[in-house]
Amino acid sequence: MAAGKAMAAAEPLGRTAEEVAWAEALRGACEPEHHWRHRREFLLRNVGELPAAGSAQLQRLVSLSMVWANHVFLGCRYPPQVMEKALEMAEGIQVTGAPVRTTRDELVAKKG
Amino acid sequence: MGVPAFFRWLSRKYPSIIVNCVEEKAKECNGVKAPIDTSKPNPNEVEFDNLYLDMNGIIHPSFQIRFRASKEGMEAAEEKQKIRREILAKGGILPPEEVKERFDSNCITPGTEFMDNLAKCLRYYIADRLNSDPGWKNLTVILSDASAPGEGEHKIMDYIRRQRAQPNHDPNTHHCLCGADADLIMLGLATHEPNFTIIREEFKPNKPKPCALCNQMGHEVKDCQGLPREKQGKHDQFADSLPIAEQEFIFIRLCVLREYLERELTMASLPFTFDFERSVDDWVFMCFFVGNDFLPHLPSLEIREGAIDRLVNIYKNVVHKTGGYLTESGFVNLQRVQMIMLAVGEVEDSIFKKRKDDDDNFKRRQKEKRKRMKRDQPSFIPGGQFSPQALGNRSSPQAISNPRQAAFEMRMHDRQNSTTSSSPNTSLTSDGSPSLAGGIKRKAEDSDSEPEPEDNIRLWETGWKQRYYKNKFDVDASDEKFRRKVVQSYVEGLCWVLRYYYQGCASWNWYYPFHYAPFASDFEGIADMPSDFEKGSKPFKPLEQLMGVFPAASGNFLPPTWRKLMTDPESSIIDFYPEDFAIDLNGKKYAWQGVALLPFVDERRLRAALEEVYPDLTPEESRRNSLGGDVLFVGKHHPLCDFIVEQYKTKNTEPVDIPPELCFIVGQVKLAFYDPILCLFISELGF
Repeated sequence: MAAGKAMAAAEPLGRTAEEVAWAEALRGACEPEHHWRHRREFLLRNVGELPAAGSAQLQRLVSLSMVWANHVFLGCRYPPQVMEKALEMAEGIQVTGAPVRTTRDELVAKKG
Repeated sequence: MGVPAFFRWLSRKYPSIIVNCVEEKAKECNGVKAPIDTSKPNPNEVEFDNLYLDMNGIIHPSFQIRFRASKEGMEAAEEKQKIRREILAKGGILPPEEVKERFDSNCITPGTEFMDNLAKCLRYYIADRLNSDPGWKNLTVILSDASAPGEGEHKIMDYIRRQRAQPNHDPNTHHCLCGADADLIMLGLATHEPNFTIIREEFKPNKPKPCALCNQMGHEVKDCQGLPREKQGKHDQFADSLPIAEQEFIFIRLCVLREYLERELTMASLPFTFDFERSVDDWVFMCFFVGNDFLPHLPSLEIREGAIDRLVNIYKNVVHKTGGYLTESGFVNLQRVQMIMLAVGEVEDSIFKKRKDDDDNFKRRQKEKRKRMKRDQPSFIPGGQFSPQALGNRSSPQAISNPRQAAFEMRMHDRQNSTTSSSPNTSLTSDGSPSLAGGIKRKAEDSDSEPEPEDNIRLWETGWKQRYYKNKFDVDASDEKFRRKVVQSYVEGLCWVLRYYYQGCASWNWYYPFHYAPFASDFEGIADMPSDFEKGSKPFKPLEQLMGVFPAASGNFLPPTWRKLMTDPESSIIDFYPEDFAIDLNGKKYAWQGVALLPFVDERRLRAALEEVYPDLTPEESRRNSLGGDVLFVGKHHPLCDFIVEQYKTKNTEPVDIPPELCFIVGQVKLAFYDPILCLFISELGF
């Protein structure tokens, strides 16, 4: 997979082909490119040793990556403990031009 | 698609499809209610053979009244809390709080104890009627409760399709389908059964008479205070929808609709043979474009703007190019659909511009109307002892005391305040002291017009496609690959929906993975897109489904360890349950009209997480979690009764064919279980 290797060299920096391949397998079928890039960054930064398929560790990591992505790109808000953990894990990841949304609670508060 | 919108459009365009129902009401004599004899002929001069009840349209509305009452209860409770806080702040002592149970209408979902109990109640109801109502003597009743997977309307469709496929099916069967969903009209047409009628409640409730003076509800003339109308519901959305005293029903006659459609769809000099039934199928398919339960509708197709007419016109114009029908027995010809879509795409721009123009004109007319109405209002209304008294009051207004003094004080007060406040009038309270609160301010011209809902897309301005894709999908319109994915998913969706109506559920897994639709002009190169579905898919079991549709706040309907997956910060699926989520108003005014940006539930991850907690289910919960079938009920006078009793006597647990001479339903019965409350053996109906 020469092309794959070239990709690994270009971005994300400092990752082996194995790590990138592992991450790519976790991409959502309908995830837009830049959403995926950011979530992939989240996954790679927090993975440490590549976890076994189906392991609790992997499930948790994927779940938190979705918490973060849903928060940034979809505007979801999760319980405080969960938010804290996800944001902590995402520290340092730069996201520019994220969509600005109004949540249901905010809407109800406005009209109420 | 909103039910009112489609139905309103249809009934205006084809008015003769609707007929009022004649209903024999219960008579009361000397305070005793006489029961209605249901074995008498139908007062509408038509005898129906089969009655289908879509319970979805019956359970929810029955609870809406109760739910609305509890909404009022909530507001009253909020008020109560406010008062309690005030008392506390002043250092007072509070009586103990009464805890009132809140009613969560989410309980009306398959898998809850509530639905389980409801199924039991329905079984009791059927047994009771079969045993006591003479009109039910020879009826065969089939109950498919919430444990049988599928939407009510489609389970009904499945049944009709199967019966139609049998050699001894009576083609003149009169079907009567009860439900309010606009989809039922499409479903009825899709059966191609010639005698198909829908019965539903009329949308116009019988209003109690409004007060003759102010034209409002809730009080009589003698109590009128001339007050402005109160908002009902936070956004006045409950106005004009008081609980009904007497409900009227209407019939929607699909045979008449078919006649209308025949006139509408007949095309001359076709390069192929005209087959009316197939053009009906195409019409049904085109209605899907305008709205269905599984796909967001295309931005350029709004039913209020005559989208269906537009599609039909294009369809008829383009048919020489398309060379044939759009659909065939539930399969879509993508090549031909593409031609129709691209034809819509060409006029998308002008559709958006016209929409904006119509919108602006409407708002302008509303503004002018408000201005006109304000001019008719008096610019000054005296307060205090001079304030107007309601007519028709038992007591006549009191004599004015010291009028000259009061008038003098008002003038003085006015002079003082004219420099400081913009209010041109003032008033006096009942004790004669001046107060500013009583008068009515003349408002600045447009200050009461509501703020416009934000629109970042502005479809009427150039660049709408870019803004839409950027704003809604967060991608560049130039990302061809992504756009193609959206269109492909949408095309898949159209195929799935059509199959769902004509053949049954093609895949229990499929869903449209985006929150928005693409544009008609994006439907290029769709002819080769795959439209097959994964075979062997299985429906979710009821409790699994609850995990996929409930928010964490309704977790109390689930077993404890399952519920934990929705709230535990360590849960491997915690991302499925946000506490708060974004709503895109999409140009609309109210939150409930907007698009809820909820994350999609990943089926595989959900099943993986549930594997761990499955062993925790109690036998009762496991039972609730199992998929049920259709249950057959017959009374003791029914020809089939002895046959079934025989099965019990011989302890036959194998499915056995229903003898056609005893019952017109083609299928098999099998012993299921003994219901101790009804003292009945329940038999399952299979095909």
